[in-house]
Amino acid sequence: MNDPRMVCRWGGALLALAALVVLAGVLPAGAQEAAREPAYRAFPVFGSRLAVWAVAQLHLNFAAFILGCPIFAVIIEIIGWRTGDARYDWLAREFVKLTFAAYSTTALLGALLLFLFVGYYPRFWAYMTSIFFPTYWVYALLFFAETFVVYLWYYGWDWLAGARKWIHVGLGVLANLLGTAILFVANAWVTFMVSPGGVDEAGRLVSLWGAINNFTWMPINIHRLLANIVFGGTIAAAYAAFRFLAAASDEERARYDWMGYVGNFVAISAFIVLPFAGYWLGFEIYQFNQTMGITMMGGFMSWLWIVQAILIGVLFLGSNYYLWLGMERIPGAERYRKYMPPMLLVLTVGFIIWATPRTMVLTFEEARAMGGTHHPFLGLFGVMSAKNTVVNLMILTTFLSYVLYRRANKESVKPWAPVGKLVQGVTFAVAAAAVVAIGVLGYYVESGVRVLRLSPLQVLVVLVTIIVVMAIDIPMFRGARSTGAIRWGAIAPRSQYVLILLAVTFTWLMGLMGFARSGIRQHWHVYGVLRDTSPDAVTPALGYAANVITVITVVFFALVMFIFWLGGLGERGKAKAPAPAPALAGGSHPPA
Amino acid sequence: MRVPIAVRVALFALVVMGVYTYFANSIPQIESRPPQELSLEGGNVTPAQLVRAGQEIFRTKGTCEVCHRVGQAGARAPDLAGIGARAAQRKPGMSAKQYLIESLLQPNAYVVEGYPPIMPAVDRPPIGLNRSEVWAVVAYLQSLGGTVDVTLNDIPPTVGAGGGATAAAAEVKVPGDPKAGRAVFTGKGGCVACHKAGDIAGAPVGPDLSQIARIQTPEYIMRKILDPKGAGTVAGFPAGVMPQTFGQTLTAREYTDLVAFLLTLK
Repeated sequence: MNDPRMVCRWGGALLALAALVVLAGVLPAGAQEAAREPAYRAFPVFGSRLAVWAVAQLHLNFAAFILGCPIFAVIIEIIGWRTGDARYDWLAREFVKLTFAAYSTTALLGALLLFLFVGYYPRFWAYMTSIFFPTYWVYALLFFAETFVVYLWYYGWDWLAGARKWIHVGLGVLANLLGTAILFVANAWVTFMVSPGGVDEAGRLVSLWGAINNFTWMPINIHRLLANIVFGGTIAAAYAAFRFLAAASDEERARYDWMGYVGNFVAISAFIVLPFAGYWLGFEIYQFNQTMGITMMGGFMSWLWIVQAILIGVLFLGSNYYLWLGMERIPGAERYRKYMPPMLLVLTVGFIIWATPRTMVLTFEEARAMGGTHHPFLGLFGVMSAKNTVVNLMILTTFLSYVLYRRANKESVKPWAPVGKLVQGVTFAVAAAAVVAIGVLGYYVESGVRVLRLSPLQVLVVLVTIIVVMAIDIPMFRGARSTGAIRWGAIAPRSQYVLILLAVTFTWLMGLMGFARSGIRQHWHVYGVLRDTSPDAVTPALGYAANVITVITVVFFALVMFIFWLGGLGERGKAKAPAPAPALAGGSHPPA
Repeated sequence: MRVPIAVRVALFALVVMGVYTYFANSIPQIESRPPQELSLEGGNVTPAQLVRAGQEIFRTKGTCEVCHRVGQAGARAPDLAGIGARAAQRKPGMSAKQYLIESLLQPNAYVVEGYPPIMPAVDRPPIGLNRSEVWAVVAYLQSLGGTVDVTLNDIPPTVGAGGGATAAAAEVKVPGDPKAGRAVFTGKGGCVACHKAGDIAGAPVGPDLSQIARIQTPEYIMRKILDPKGAGTVAGFPAGVMPQTFGQTLTAREYTDLVAFLLTLK
């Protein structure tokens, strides 16, 4: 505790925690008070909704980062511990350092959000308290425990090295379990607002567990957990990209090239399964309330999904492009160049189809000229069957890119390798054909069959393909002959802009999805239970939402850069640590 | 001049976000506005006015168009063209209006073959139509090929009385004395000159308020007294008749007493 930075950080976190605990303690009185007070107060200049929106989204962005980053940091630490490769240990510590820098900001934004709710939405907050008060204490205790463990994890890195490394890894795992538990508690509040459960028709609490375990709670838990990993990975990769571009030496460039690669690899790995979790969430929304589901997908929010499709298309294209650029620094990767044009074609066509709107806003003359609001040809692609099909094909293509990257400088020495490759190729081909066939079948069945049977079947086909191909790939390339070492740092600089593009796009996408999740409640604080009677009860159009999201994203990145800069101040003037040395250009073998 | 890396990266990020923002602003802009409450009770509403109101509710607050179309088959729900005539043949012994009322309030009592049982009860949250609104929607549906003969008395008085927001509204405690409020209603306020309220006979210039607490929110009632013009005029009644001056002529105590009295009218 002699380190002033440490004292400062502890102080910040404890201050935020104290604010939470104190507020939680006074809330019942505040709730009773609120019943006699106005239901709303107006935030100066911006209005209450915009203030809550901005702070909530910023808090969410930071929280996603500090929850996602440690998950893959501990995985990397475990890899380093088991393989004895010091590069991974250095990288894990570097990732936790980034997390650490953002920790206090997350807590302070959370406290600020609480102030806004208590002050500007007193009736809403009183109602939420009447349902969830016991969970506030759980949240506060978990928060305290996580803070303690994360600090111990970070500052005990050297202390718990060597024979005591298992204790250190255990702390990392514990920190993640506590972080995930915090996420689950907060998700209970958020999802209750969307799909309330455990209350009677008058909104009175019947079962706390019913309120927590509502329709969308577990899907959101899983979706956010995965999305947090993707987000943490993209932000860490973007940080590495920035450091790569600003690097003064080849050694530094090599180090951050590798860091960017690992961050992006983790992000893509989680990103590939994210659409499946999203589908589950959408499915549960329909199960909770058909009207809400239909309003979300076919009502005033329908165009939001076109924007989402474009953003995810950019993520798919960017992720693959980065891998292809990365292969240029791997001797032996030339063998696989011929696969890139067809893969690019699949991704591009998939992108276009996914972004095809079902209907268009037309003048009467335009609609008559086209023969209706649905285009006779393009209208076929604007439906779920086509979109689900191309998403699954894009996931398969991205997975293929990764498989090729993984083997770029390897030649299998196993005698059964030709058969293994053939089986892998056939598996890919059969999976692609099956996905397309199921998609076509979707046009000829009723919606229930399409939603409940065919779409999960497509997902299953893709997941089985990933498992089968990797089950062959891992033993096939174990002990493989190397065609040359990866030239870390020799990647084209534009690849680093791709990493930044991915981080910006994913952050913006998170903002958009946050708007979608809140927007589907329309004029309800708690859907069907507590109505929004404030002047802000109008759910704004997409353009307005996009403007807000952009401003929030700009503020978020400005804060992130400032915090990372602050975090790096302590290192200035110090001698360079020797630990990163193994990550020099020309590192011997590809990671992971 | 060499542009610093931080500036280049920031500009790149801004361009990317700018493109997304531009695109989101260039596609159709649709807002979702909260629905307005409609009260037709006690009014001399013509069938044509009722049908028009019902059509509006069908498209907006009722969210019926999310699944139903008129003159166009849908996968989720039946085409409602001609439902006014067809409704009488759906269930033996049930008239068209009885069937339509049942379909709105208990949608799963009879589900048209080939469609999933996904329709919510329209008088429950989140749709939460009040009695007047259900009346108007039934009238509109009857008008689609049938004869409009539904009256307010055909709609059960319990419609719209329970659940979520309505229940929450009923729980609002106004710190006033209903007895004193009754005196304001018949005396200083002069409300009785235009309104009937339960056992208080009044002239039929304005709507009958005998069930006003059931069909309207406390917020609406409070606003209507202070700003009658801003709160809107009930269909079938002349606009601009109710004085705008209660905010000045009534004391705060009289105002809260009056509101407390009106909230007892269920």
